Amino acid sequence: MKPTRDPRVTLDDLVEVLLNKGAVLHLDLIVSVADIPLIGVSLRAAIAGMETMLEYGMLRRWDEDTRAWAERSTGRRELELRAGERHVVHMRGGHLLEDGFQTTWRPGTVHLTDRRLVVLRREPREVLWETELAEVRAVRPETERTIGGEQRTRLRVVLADGRQTLLSCTEPERLRALLAGTCPGPLETSPVGPAAGTGDGRTVLEGHLWYHEPRRDGPLWRGGQGRLTPDGLMWKSPLDSRPALVLPADDITAVRTEPGGSPAGGGTVITVETASQGPVTLTADEPGRWAGALDSLRGAAPLPSA
Amino acid sequence: MTEPALYVYAVAPDRPGAADGVTGVDGHPLRLLAAPGTGLAALVHDAEPVPYQGPDEDVRRRVAEQDRAVVAVWERTGALLPMTFNVLVAPDPSPRDPRTAEERLRDWLTSRAAGLRSRLEALDGRAELRVEITVDRTESARDDERARALEAEMESRSPGLRRLLAKQLEQLRRESSERLADAIHADVRRRLLAVAEDMRERSRGVRDPGEADVLSAALLVRTEDIEAVGTVLAAVRDEQPAARIRFLGPWPPYTFADLPDGPREPAAPERA
Repeated sequence: MKPTRDPRVTLDDLVEVLLNKGAVLHLDLIVSVADIPLIGVSLRAAIAGMETMLEYGMLRRWDEDTRAWAERSTGRRELELRAGERHVVHMRGGHLLEDGFQTTWRPGTVHLTDRRLVVLRREPREVLWETELAEVRAVRPETERTIGGEQRTRLRVVLADGRQTLLSCTEPERLRALLAGTCPGPLETSPVGPAAGTGDGRTVLEGHLWYHEPRRDGPLWRGGQGRLTPDGLMWKSPLDSRPALVLPADDITAVRTEPGGSPAGGGTVITVETASQGPVTLTADEPGRWAGALDSLRGAAPLPSA
Repeated sequence: MTEPALYVYAVAPDRPGAADGVTGVDGHPLRLLAAPGTGLAALVHDAEPVPYQGPDEDVRRRVAEQDRAVVAVWERTGALLPMTFNVLVAPDPSPRDPRTAEERLRDWLTSRAAGLRSRLEALDGRAELRVEITVDRTESARDDERARALEAEMESRSPGLRRLLAKQLEQLRRESSERLADAIHADVRRRLLAVAEDMRERSRGVRDPGEADVLSAALLVRTEDIEAVGTVLAAVRDEQPAARIRFLGPWPPYTFADLPDGPREPAAPERA
């Protein structure tokens, strides 16, 4: 197949990319027009969603909207960073205050830096909750059903001294994956209890798993979520739309653990030999547990798909 | 009189003549504004310090014009960092230290020179390709025996029961296409990453309820490997009759032009 550049085919895509991406300059050279900061639309468009803008013909209003947004968001990164501290991500969220007298959700912004996890309220400004990442021992998703019947995932953060707190945020899976990648120590990220989060009862093992994704210029460790069922293993990164790895149980020919450099901090990786795609390298905080579960699939007759 | 501003299209290696004869948005002639000593230049046109606004149709036309101009210069220089739409640099009128738009832009290029140069080097000789794959839900359940049995049963049933069976059939097609989409995604991703240097998945805008999204991604590919990506996609098309493939490009690296976050270089002439 040959790619096409025909504008009749590509114009919608170009509009999207030129409003969303290609952004370099405006990120740090904010230009003043009549004392109002003018910035590229890309950041705002990424938030409002191009689909909505295109759908409702909102492009004509984008400049006013952009200015309004720029003014609102000047305090977006209001977290004061320490010297050398690096911002990783922030998203809307909150934390559950449990002080013996009351149990209240306190809304704010969840900031992850390379050193701290902070829930900050802007007005009136207050650090609602914070921890050093070095103190974090576990981050577990907890799924509950809201009154509206919608599934909502919270993150329970457990610290070295045993204290724990419940955080809400707009992208819990992403925050969990980023925490797993940012926390210096080994981090437990599996949900509590069997098959939590999926509910179909077929899950053998589920949790944070690293996949050594083969690439043209050498493999790359990527953090994501692994899910093992009697049918096989699926691995998905929060940055991808679908699983990047699907290993059917009957494709697995051998499983072993071996020494190797691992992003999880340990020195053990899991090698899964497969019939169709050769060796696949994985690792986890508990490589032995995953290797054992993977190995038990091998040879076991795959269940007929329901 | 309004002080002239600069509408910026891209940062490029400073190759005198690379913008000659190229016109941009609304037919404005383009020029390269070099930052001496850095090897870098900005691709600009002289503008009023007012952003473009107007009806969607005008925006679409201007986006197409901006793209055409950036592509023309990119084909001459082999690398550039494209800007988003409506990036304007205006003069700084502060009475203590007034600066023209050109001075501000040159200072900015100089202060970020090392980062910009290394990003340009990384993108030299590379293009962005867009790949979008969906599967047709009906087609993906074609070989499913249960789907076929349901279809046959519907023929002979009352309208009420037919509606019920149609619901079941739709559910079956949905599950079947989701499974197929997961499997194709993992397979295609692996095959494309053997050829592409980088890949960023993106969420897709328009959805056809009769299709399941498989992959919507921007690939960064060496120009000599564009054909190899085409070969992978042709193989997928032949193996998967249910797959629908869009293949766009080659484009300047719009999705890969971002600079890593970081402080400016310490030597930066910070003039606020």
